[in-house]
Amino acid sequence: MADEKRALEQIVLTRAMQLNATVQGIVTGLVVGLGIFIATNWLVLKGGEVVGPHLALLGQFLIGYRVSFVGSLVGFAYGFVGGYLVGYVVARVYNWAAHRRERKRLGHA
Amino acid sequence: MTAEGATEKQVVVIGGGPAGLTAGYELTKFDLRPVVLEKQSLVGGLARTESYKGFHFDMGGHRFFTKVEEVKKMWQAVLGGELLRRPRLSRIYYNGRFFFYPLKPLNALLGLGFWQSILIVLSYIRWQLFPYRREDTFEQWVTNRFGRRLFLTFFKTYTEKVWGISCSELKAEWAAQRIKDLSLKTALLSMFFKPKTTIKTLIEEFDYPRYGPGMMWDAVKDEIERRQGVVRLNCDVVRINRTGSRIEGVVVRHDGTEELIRGTDFISSMPATEFIKALDPPAPPATLNAAGRLTYRDFLTVVLIVNKPHIFEDNWIYIHDPGVHVGRIQNFKNWSPDMVPDPAKTSLGLEYFCTEGDAVWTMADADLIELARREIDRIGLARSEDIVDGCVVRVEKAYPVYDSDYREYLGVVRQFIDGLENCQSVGRNGLHRYNNQDHAMLTGMLAVRNLVLGQRNDLWSVNTDQEYHEEIREQVTEHDLEEVLEGALTQVFLKLDRVALGLSAGMVSGALLFLATLALVLKGGTVVGPNLGLLAQYLPGYTVSAFGSVLGLVYGFVTGFVGGWAFACFRNATVFIYVALMHRRAELQVLRRLLEYF
Repeated sequence: MADEKRALEQIVLTRAMQLNATVQGIVTGLVVGLGIFIATNWLVLKGGEVVGPHLALLGQFLIGYRVSFVGSLVGFAYGFVGGYLVGYVVARVYNWAAHRRERKRLGHA
Repeated sequence: MTAEGATEKQVVVIGGGPAGLTAGYELTKFDLRPVVLEKQSLVGGLARTESYKGFHFDMGGHRFFTKVEEVKKMWQAVLGGELLRRPRLSRIYYNGRFFFYPLKPLNALLGLGFWQSILIVLSYIRWQLFPYRREDTFEQWVTNRFGRRLFLTFFKTYTEKVWGISCSELKAEWAAQRIKDLSLKTALLSMFFKPKTTIKTLIEEFDYPRYGPGMMWDAVKDEIERRQGVVRLNCDVVRINRTGSRIEGVVVRHDGTEELIRGTDFISSMPATEFIKALDPPAPPATLNAAGRLTYRDFLTVVLIVNKPHIFEDNWIYIHDPGVHVGRIQNFKNWSPDMVPDPAKTSLGLEYFCTEGDAVWTMADADLIELARREIDRIGLARSEDIVDGCVVRVEKAYPVYDSDYREYLGVVRQFIDGLENCQSVGRNGLHRYNNQDHAMLTGMLAVRNLVLGQRNDLWSVNTDQEYHEEIREQVTEHDLEEVLEGALTQVFLKLDRVALGLSAGMVSGALLFLATLALVLKGGTVVGPNLGLLAQYLPGYTVSAFGSVLGLVYGFVTGFVGGWAFACFRNATVFIYVALMHRRAELQVLRRLLEYF
């Protein structure tokens, strides 16, 4: 029993975490998507002669995006997809690199 | 309830304490007729009720408080209405003052006075900043966690009274073992499952038989006999006959004559050391040697009858005062009013920890009563002239000693006993473990299930060290869930690989900057990417151009790598500190209740 627990501590202290790529993608997608959605609507509600001239520059990359309520929905979609891809790729690359490094550390490389 | 083939078994149970009698009781449920052999003239073992002129005494104090459901059911089934719900109060007496136990920091600091409290806090800080580098001894171990002053106040004297050796000689492992299981798993689980409020209630109250724990065991004995089992008193096991790895029978001495009692299966709660030594033919020399190295601590209770109806509220008081030998004082009336036949009187049990054969153990009863009378007077809990009578009860092998080598020796003994085909060891002394009454009973129950139902319960893993786990486990409805949780929690608290996260963040951010730059370049226009070009303020040489996209790739990789690496570092450090703090908190919780292990 005690040995098992020592093993548990050993695992936590020596092994590296593996990331769930899908979860990481969804979380990053939601954070980025919501970030754009909130930032856009904040500027829309704030109003003014020219609404959000700097944020509107995102339109250069995100075709169809404008600083408006509809634009915030488009931005959310873009943000979610882009964020998902970034999160997913980061997780997959991380897992690949971490796995290789662990194998190397354990002498299986 | 009958298991296939069970009725052909003739089970001999050695020992009429909680473990042995529980085993006997459970066997009768399977229509078996066990023979229970008890050395003493009354049942109950360490949980017996002694009597003197109508006064009843509980040797050591046995709260009927458990988290083991089967045990709770058995108590209720056997005693029913005879179980009283009693308030619990136990305090520490030190330097003329009472302190709550388990220790409450505020109460402790107030009780010790302003200056002493300041010194304790300063001492605590000093030992937190500059602890002992090595924790070889109990003294070093506690000092590193509580500071030296608090150690001297609340741990040193009592521990030395119980074990009879200096705290600087007592191995740290002894204390560490109590919290060994409070490892990462417990710390992690404790983060997610806070103890229920009901636990507090249970700790403040407990059930207790009207006439002490022996009442329970008398009732169990009667029940076994009613179901045609046999409980034989004054039967001292002198020899255990075996053939290879099978026990054939036990030879008992009763009224000066020896008698062989045969059986098909055996459950023994006699001390593991004595069990090994009684084997015929003898166990291998290495096993005999190991058994000889396992030791016990004993105690005796001097009962004083005081001509006062009320003395103090506590069930028992820990005496930390170094000026007296007594270690703990029981007030039996506060356990149950029926323990005292005359309401105008109170009976106190002064417990002296000793080792069989030492000066205290061999002291004449009259001298012990005189010593107790002097000490109770000196402490100020009762006046010498109010003490009208007294008696002495000696309790052998009350505490298995956990010294630095015991694990190794116990391992050898265990291996041998486990190798016996038809014999299981149960109970505190049978397993040489700090099993309280409830856990001792559980070992008896599990042994019967192993025997009759063919289960494979590990009796050696049942012990009070699990208590902390149980407090947490209680929050989880199913045991299996804990295992699932353990796996999940382990995943959560694994460290992030810094380089791997740096690489992945670097690659993605480098690629993003590369693609963003290239997209604007391909898009073209009179002024290409004026806003993205502002990055040049941070990334020297960067431009929104084909060359700039490559440079952006490099810059993106480097900054992404540094960001990812730093994130992993901070995240790992934060988790490490968090887990360490939780682990420490769990440690301190156990330490606050350490005295209960004595």
